[in-house]
Amino acid sequence: MNGLRATWLFAAKDLRTELRSGGRLVAMGAFVVLAAFLFAVSLDRTQVPGRSAAAGLLWLVVLFATTTGAGRAFDAEEEDGAFRHVLASPAPRGAVFAGKTAANWVLAAIVAVLAFFAVTAFLGVRSTGPLAWHGAVLLPGTIGLAAVGTFFGRVSSHSGLGDALLPVLSFPLLAPMVFFGSTASARVLLGRPWSEIAGPARLLWAFALGSLAAGAVLFRHATDE
Amino acid sequence: MDRPAAMQPSAAARVAGLALVSVGAAVILVMHWMAAFWVPTEASMGVVQRIFYIHAPAAWTTFLAFGISAAASAAYLWLRDERADAAAAAAAEGGLVFGAVMLTSGPLWARIAWGTYWEWEPRLTLTLLLWFTYLGYFLVRGSVTDRRKGRRLAAVVAVAGSLNIPLIHVSVNWFRSLHPGAVVIKPDGPTLHPDMQTTVLTSVAGFTCLFLGLLCFRYRAGLAAETRQAAAVGDEAEQ
Repeated sequence: MNGLRATWLFAAKDLRTELRSGGRLVAMGAFVVLAAFLFAVSLDRTQVPGRSAAAGLLWLVVLFATTTGAGRAFDAEEEDGAFRHVLASPAPRGAVFAGKTAANWVLAAIVAVLAFFAVTAFLGVRSTGPLAWHGAVLLPGTIGLAAVGTFFGRVSSHSGLGDALLPVLSFPLLAPMVFFGSTASARVLLGRPWSEIAGPARLLWAFALGSLAAGAVLFRHATDE
Repeated sequence: MDRPAAMQPSAAARVAGLALVSVGAAVILVMHWMAAFWVPTEASMGVVQRIFYIHAPAAWTTFLAFGISAAASAAYLWLRDERADAAAAAAAEGGLVFGAVMLTSGPLWARIAWGTYWEWEPRLTLTLLLWFTYLGYFLVRGSVTDRRKGRRLAAVVAVAGSLNIPLIHVSVNWFRSLHPGAVVIKPDGPTLHPDMQTTVLTSVAGFTCLFLGLLCFRYRAGLAAETRQAAAVGDEAEQ
């Protein structure tokens, strides 16, 4: 089976399942809004201006929501044993990983858009900078988050520690991505020129593509039954 | 039940471990004498600079240990040889121990040199994250019921986590960093006082021998535990 076609089929299947149930997306969306609200409530904005904290909080909210959601990507198929059949299919394991990551990325992108509006609204940020630039920063960031979350979601699903293990495994590798992402987003919010944003944005792309490549290569070892 | 020959814990590993640990401990004792009484005091930082003779060799040993663990884990994923897994786990344990030495000695120095125990600068932060990745390695190993699957997934974590190591190496040059750069291994030669260089290289030799000795012991113990486990499973199957 062609790898690209298999990737598309797996992504479409996961998204169809998600659209039918909607549980994961609704939970992630609710989490994003509530987390943004709690961050805004807990910040003393007489000491910390909302615009200074918004980028960091945005990336933290997206990080928590995406990794939690990605960690659940295998749950339904594991529960009814369907994932064994997925693995028995002639599709390359890399394509299974890419398909799962693509489906998780769609959810992550929706969550990131929601998080952006929730964080800026709750923190009272009026001038956000060009939205297209925010998109150019969040695009590689969400791809990287989805790839690492999907990969370690698979690893932690075998563990007795379950969801408690996922942050321990994924956050150390995602920390540089959150650092570059929040740096770039902060610069967009502060109205800096693109030349100051391009550096961290390029590093985000490097991390995203590196995570995709490493995940596609190593996923085979995380799924040998 | 006979153990497979390849899985027999080797006597050579025990002898090598004993020799390396003895040499390493003796060299580290000598290094302590050198650091306390022989090497000159650094002009700008004063006596606190002597922590460098513990911190830098501990950092070198940590990266060596995690590098060995990642390489052995990759070999395990490729060959599925239990010896590679035992070596990976033993090296990762050493990395965690020497990493803890590095991560505690660094802040003690930083409190005097920088005025704060911890500074969020790239090399420190990424090293701490690498340490947590290998903590995750043991969490995965211990929390998966199927031991073989646990070892395989832990190996995957070790290989994925090792992608952080080159980033840590280049982070001092890529980012504005408070962390001192290289003073011994540099393209244009070392910039350290010759006596300080001798002391730090002695310390590196001592730490390396100590780590490799402990690695031999833990490797041997890991293989022994594995063969005991395999024998117990075999006995249960026969009954």
